[in-house]
Amino acid sequence: MRLSFTVNGRQCEADDVWEGESLLYVLRERLGLPGSKNACEQGECGSCTVYLDGVPACACLVAAGQAAGREVGTVEGLAEGDGLGAVQESFVEAGAVQCGFCTPGLLVATDDLVNRVPHPSDAEIRESLAGNLCRCTGYEKIMDAVRLAADRRASSEASRSGKTDA
Amino acid sequence: MIPFDYQRADRADGAVAAVGVRPAAAFLGGGTNLVDHLKLGVAEPELLVDVTRLPFDGIDTLPDGGVRVGATVRNSDLAAEAIVRQRYPVLSQALLSGASGQLRNLATTGGNLLQRTRCPYFQDVTTPCNKREPGQGCSARGGYTRYHAILGASEHCVATHPSDMAVALTALDATVHVTGPNGQRDIPVTELHRLPGDEPHRDTVLEHGDLITAVDLPELPMAARSRYRKVRDRASYAFALVSVAAALDVEDGTVREARIALGGVAHKPWRANTAEQALRGAPATEQSFREAAEAELAEAQPVRDNAFKVPMARNTLVATLRDLAGEEAR
Amino acid sequence: MSDHAPARSPQDLDDSIAGGIGESPTRPDGALKVRGEYAYASDLWAEDMLWGATLRSPHPYARIRSIDIGPALATPGVYAVLTHSDVPGENLYGLKIVDQPVLAVDVVRYRGEAVALVAADHPETARRAMERIEVDYEVLEPITDPELAAHDTTLPELHPGGNVVRHQPIVKGDPEASADVVVSGLYTLGMQDQAFLGPEAGLAVPAPDGGVDLYLATQDLHSDRKQTAQALGLPPEKVRMTMSGVGGAFGGREDLSIQVHCSMLALHTGKPVKMVYDREESFHGHVHRHPAKMYYEHGATRDGDLVYVRATLYFDGGAYASKTPVVVGNGTTLGIGPYAVPNVRIEGWGLYTNNPPCGAMRGLGAVQPALAYEAQMDKLADALGMDPVEVRIRNALSQGGTTPTGQVLDYPAPVAELLDRVRRLPLPAEHDSAPADIRDLPGGASNTTHGEGVVRGIGYGVCIKNICYAEGADDYSTARVRLQIIGGEPLAVVHTAAAEVGQGLVTVQQQIARTELGVERVNIHPNDTDVGPAGSSSASRQTYVTGGAVRNACEAVRDVLLQRVAARSGESIGDLSLSGGKVVSSATGVLADLADVIGDDVIEETREYHHRETYPLDEELGTSERAQVQHAFSAHRAVVDVDTELGLVKVVQLDCSQDVGKAMNPEAVIGQIQGGSAQGLGLAVMEEIRVDGGTIRNASFTDYLIPTILDMPPMNIDVIERADPNSPYGVRGVGEPPTISSTPAVVAAIRAATGKALTHTPVAPEHIIADIPR
Repeated sequence: MRLSFTVNGRQCEADDVWEGESLLYVLRERLGLPGSKNACEQGECGSCTVYLDGVPACACLVAAGQAAGREVGTVEGLAEGDGLGAVQESFVEAGAVQCGFCTPGLLVATDDLVNRVPHPSDAEIRESLAGNLCRCTGYEKIMDAVRLAADRRASSEASRSGKTDA
Repeated sequence: MIPFDYQRADRADGAVAAVGVRPAAAFLGGGTNLVDHLKLGVAEPELLVDVTRLPFDGIDTLPDGGVRVGATVRNSDLAAEAIVRQRYPVLSQALLSGASGQLRNLATTGGNLLQRTRCPYFQDVTTPCNKREPGQGCSARGGYTRYHAILGASEHCVATHPSDMAVALTALDATVHVTGPNGQRDIPVTELHRLPGDEPHRDTVLEHGDLITAVDLPELPMAARSRYRKVRDRASYAFALVSVAAALDVEDGTVREARIALGGVAHKPWRANTAEQALRGAPATEQSFREAAEAELAEAQPVRDNAFKVPMARNTLVATLRDLAGEEAR
Repeated sequence: MSDHAPARSPQDLDDSIAGGIGESPTRPDGALKVRGEYAYASDLWAEDMLWGATLRSPHPYARIRSIDIGPALATPGVYAVLTHSDVPGENLYGLKIVDQPVLAVDVVRYRGEAVALVAADHPETARRAMERIEVDYEVLEPITDPELAAHDTTLPELHPGGNVVRHQPIVKGDPEASADVVVSGLYTLGMQDQAFLGPEAGLAVPAPDGGVDLYLATQDLHSDRKQTAQALGLPPEKVRMTMSGVGGAFGGREDLSIQVHCSMLALHTGKPVKMVYDREESFHGHVHRHPAKMYYEHGATRDGDLVYVRATLYFDGGAYASKTPVVVGNGTTLGIGPYAVPNVRIEGWGLYTNNPPCGAMRGLGAVQPALAYEAQMDKLADALGMDPVEVRIRNALSQGGTTPTGQVLDYPAPVAELLDRVRRLPLPAEHDSAPADIRDLPGGASNTTHGEGVVRGIGYGVCIKNICYAEGADDYSTARVRLQIIGGEPLAVVHTAAAEVGQGLVTVQQQIARTELGVERVNIHPNDTDVGPAGSSSASRQTYVTGGAVRNACEAVRDVLLQRVAARSGESIGDLSLSGGKVVSSATGVLADLADVIGDDVIEETREYHHRETYPLDEELGTSERAQVQHAFSAHRAVVDVDTELGLVKVVQLDCSQDVGKAMNPEAVIGQIQGGSAQGLGLAVMEEIRVDGGTIRNASFTDYLIPTILDMPPMNIDVIERADPNSPYGVRGVGEPPTISSTPAVVAAIRAATGKALTHTPVAPEHIIADIPR
């Protein structure tokens, strides 16, 4: 079947999609967007987390046809031009990336959190990221990265609205 | 995975007709269970009819004070709904204890009710399983059974129902609206799921082509004080070993009414009628709670690896009731 | 070499980050990874590529009567269906013992053993065709009990030579010594999975010379190449391997997975072939940590001095040997822990069974005995009425001490200091001092308790782990360093085959080159087999050996430069050094810019680093002058809350003191300790592959649980640096120890809270709930 939907703000089309393919497969193998990862393909790890109509979802469990006409956002869409977005930058700086396989999913989940909650508590961070498994870091530096990202997001919001703390 | 066709339904009657006429057709909701089963080869439909865009996405208060939840309402949205959090906290808590945020954003009310078991033999197509292929035999009997049933099992199947939401709905006496090839009907959620008996391949009383369109939560003031407790092997993102959904109405230290359902213990969400009966009129004390729990579990028949579920279910139920009674006293 | 170099592989790492040895620069692959652009093996893609799939045995033990590939081959879109008769070279491989068929011939020895291969134009076509391969099996009764496999001579022999992979005794002093206070116990450990997130994957591209180019994720390119070439019947130079992004390893990528299979399909079809395991296949397709059954007896004086340790350890190696011989070696030599004991008798058995094959995992062979010896130390403290930390300190091994194999430790061994430091780290607040957030209690967000029935416990664990290969292996790595001027700036390029598996080896290599060459820009060349071997990213060894090789190669490049400048300037070479892109004389200051000295030249040197020689163990007594080149130590303290009614455990805090010799990159060291501790916590309370009748019954991340961010507590980490005079920069391996000492600390804390014996790890709710006997 022919599948058409929006990815990172761009209209995309994929042809000859087989009904049994997942959104994850279509993104990775048909649209050349391998950033979303295939760690379990059973909804058990969160490494394929993408925005689906604005909310995080496991792309591996979305049948291709279900994505038709919807808006998808992937890790590739988090960059700001050629530079890194604030969430991406925070993960690199905090040392929250080791092997990096869980990172794209965590970035989308973190982006969603810091957009929804300006100053998340540690408990809120943990609850929000409980659907993203990481095997390398023990999560401590991921906590650091999310705190850093939230601070940066909040201060850039503040400066945008002209209400700087300084 | 065998090849299959995919259709997206715009109308319920069209969806029912499309599935009804093809024996190997199935409805597709959020996909969190069915898409996984397609990959594992556990489900082999020839046609999937996507019902997620049917106009059943509302949560509405009914004239009698109850609440109607559309079948396509996402688990995350239902859990976050103010009226649910205030009037049926057990339901909100049950939903939030299930899966992960990314899955709750996909999973639907109707689909959650129709989740299939996590029995490892059901999911491993190289092993016999009566639920997957009637008459093959049950590999779990004599096999690895830590997650299996302690109540209501049969020699043909010892699997458990995996849903958290359904346990809460069972305690709340919700009603399921169904439309099917033979018209519409309402089914109490307590009668939706079956015990395995000698037909373990039938999880529910639904017939082929029956589509869940909504779930009604009855007006139930006592549910404002309700709880869902889930015991699992890690702090989140795991299926229940045992869970308890309960609401308690206590006046002057005496239990007037109790609503209790257990999860992770049977082929269906287990309404604890015996415990409820024992509690009505009993003093709201630890001893009554314990006696009620023990009465409910008197018939428990653990299999090889799950004897621990009996004391775990008892302790979880006692703790939940103690918690609710304590809240009442405050 | 080939016409089809794959898209999406490999990648250019950032060469513009500053920071030398001892600093904590960010990773050169960090930006690519957060952009989703880092090409992992499962991201590989080539024009016109096919997809491979592997048919695996559904039985743990069976004879193969026949295989019919006809219906599968007739499936539209299928290009090849291969069986054992298509293996071009030797149909056997293995890391230590060559005993595993590439494709099963007439018998399968474990559930999941590879039987046939398919290549097709879509992964689903390949899977469907696979289901149409008809294999006629005669099912046999599997051997599943390793202790029986060791002693029951009536059992069938799974391999020629019997079911014992390795039997190693270690005897020191008087093995029959007696003591005033004796404690004993039987301890068991379940099978743990590495649970790396990036599945096994690779892309094989047939080359015009009849060879194959394989792009893949592995821990050791050259080991893979040697085994793959042998199986393909090709000379090694025709099997070229290039590393793709590795999504974690932890030991699980030491053995072959897709390597030969993918290459066979590519060579057979003449097309690029990609293979990616799904998670279930990954559980069947790689080795796991050896389950163990361990009998221990400790004897001590009434004052608490250890007199003897006697132990027998059974390691279940499963169907094929993999790293079982090394597990037995490590398990026995390290089997009494970091303690000084005059009299020792340890017997280690590694066995063949029809359970899933077991091999390398972080902490190889040292994890299992640590659970037993640390439980024993607590039991001993209890019997003596002593503080558990005091008993450990009293018996701690130290520099100059002797191991049970007779090796004298000629480097710091600060075991007592680590224990003392970890117990002094701050403790968390008690619950009664602050209202508890329910999410901080056992059960977390599952709302299971509001504090009733919750008991706190504190436990300690300390461990010893050998670093690098041991028992006489020639352990070395190779580095090629090139220095040239690009755009007026000096640029160093470091080329090794050492696998970056997430640990940060690329960062450390850059740091070493920056420091040694005094330049800012250091590029890391993609890992491949065009450079000499680096050995495996395992045994906490890469910073030691590849770090040493990069240092040696940098020194060689520096020598060339300095000789040139010395000749030109007449200064003594001993006075010259490189700094800030310049050649500097300690006598006369800046002599020249590197740009001027190098000009259009390329200075390139390749060097190896071999660590000190080690020697095999005596087969009867286990003695060896130096069985292992270095030992590392860490100590953990765990604080847990246990809901004693429901059996749920919340690890409230997990603290660690570790000696790392020299922290090459302090933040990366912390990251290793945090990650290793999380894996140890997982093993303590949730991680167990459930094998029933030889078959894995939880081959998914829903059923095999690893810690989530809600399960992992905050940590206090205390890193000390007691340099090893024998190693490059004084480094001591970092990666493994925290995985080892964390588990016994958590289990000890649960014991302290519950008073239960808890002889099996992981500890599950059923072991804690009061009225269920275990």
